[in-house]
Amino acid sequence: MDHAGFIFASYIAAFGGSAGLAWYAIRRGRALGRQLPDEDKPWI
Amino acid sequence: MQSPAGTEAGTEAGTDGRTGNRTTDRHTNGNEDSAHVATTQTPPTASGSAHRAAGSARAGTGTRFTRVLGVLTIAALAVLALFALVLSPPDVVQGESVRILYAHVGTVWVAYLAFIVTAVSSGAYLWKRTSSLTWDRIAGASAEIGVLFMAITLFTGSLWGRITWGTFWVWDARVTTTAFLFVTYVGYLAVRGLGGTHEQRARRSAVVALLAVLEIPLVHFSVRLWRSVHQDASVAGSTDVKLDDEMLFTLLLGTVAFTMMYVWYVLHRQRVLAMEDALDDKGLDLALAERRNEGLEARDMTEGTTR
Repeated sequence: MDHAGFIFASYIAAFGGSAGLAWYAIRRGRALGRQLPDEDKPWI
Repeated sequence: MQSPAGTEAGTEAGTDGRTGNRTTDRHTNGNEDSAHVATTQTPPTASGSAHRAAGSARAGTGTRFTRVLGVLTIAALAVLALFALVLSPPDVVQGESVRILYAHVGTVWVAYLAFIVTAVSSGAYLWKRTSSLTWDRIAGASAEIGVLFMAITLFTGSLWGRITWGTFWVWDARVTTTAFLFVTYVGYLAVRGLGGTHEQRARRSAVVALLAVLEIPLVHFSVRLWRSVHQDASVAGSTDVKLDDEMLFTLLLGTVAFTMMYVWYVLHRQRVLAMEDALDDKGLDLALAERRNEGLEARDMTEGTTR
C-alpha cells in the first residue's frame, strides 16, 4: 500500500483520539460518581 | 473507543439526560467545569471524604443504553477500519490516499454536528421557557468532542494534502477557515472554564456558541465563495454521485460510526459535568456549615472565658 504510514497515522489519530476521550469520560465519571449519592444521579 | 460495559453494576436504562439541576448563586471552581482539562482528579471540595461515604456501587455515568451503544460503536468502527483499510478499492485518481478520507469526512461531519448541537443547546438554555443547566452541559460536552474531531480533521487533512498537494498545509480558503473554526471553539471551551456561578458560565458560553456557529456556513461554502484547491462535496447535495459502491458504503459507514461515538460521549460527558456541578454545590454547602460551626464554637469559648 502506497503512503501506508500516512494512512495508518490518520486512523491511529481518529481511533486513538476517540478512545482516549472515551476512557477519560469513563474514568472521570466513576471518580465523581463514588463521591455522590445516587439521588444526584438521575440516570440511574 | 472504550466500552462502558461492565463499569457499573445493575444500572437501568434512564437515558433522558436529566441531571441534578442544582442552582446556586455562589462562586464555583470554574476550572473544574472546564472538563476538557485532561485530569482524573476529583474536585478539591471540602466534602471529599463525606461524599466518598455517600457513593454507591453504581458509581459511573453508564446505563444499559450507553453500554449497548458503546458496543455497537466499537463494532461499527471495526467494520469501518476493515473496509477503509482493506476491502474498499483505491481511487483511480487519488490512489491509496483516498483511504484517509473515510476518517477525514466522518470526523468533520461530527465536528459540524457537534458545533450545531452546541448552538442549539445554548439557544435552548437562553430561551426562558426551556432554560436548564442540562442544556448548558450538553453544549459543553458537544463542543469538547467537536474540538477533538476538528483537530483530527485538520491532522488527517494535512496528511492527505501532503500526498495529494505535496504539502502539509496551504493557506487555502477551506483549510484556513476550518482552522479558524477550530481555534474559535477552543476559545469557547476556555470561556466555559472561567470562574463564576453555573448560571454565569452557562449564559456567557451560550452567547459565544451562538456567535461561533455562524462560522460553519462560511467554512462550508468557502470552496464556492473563493478560489480553493479543496474539492467540493462529493456526496452531500449531489444528485449524481459518482462513487464506487464500496467506497460510498465506507464513507457513509464512517459518518454513522463516528456519529454513534459522538452520541455516546455526549451522554456520558454531560452526566460527568452534572456531577461536577453537584459536587461544587455540596462542597460549598459543607464548607459554609463548617465555617458556621467554627464561628459558633469560637463564640461559645469566648463567652465561657468571660463568665
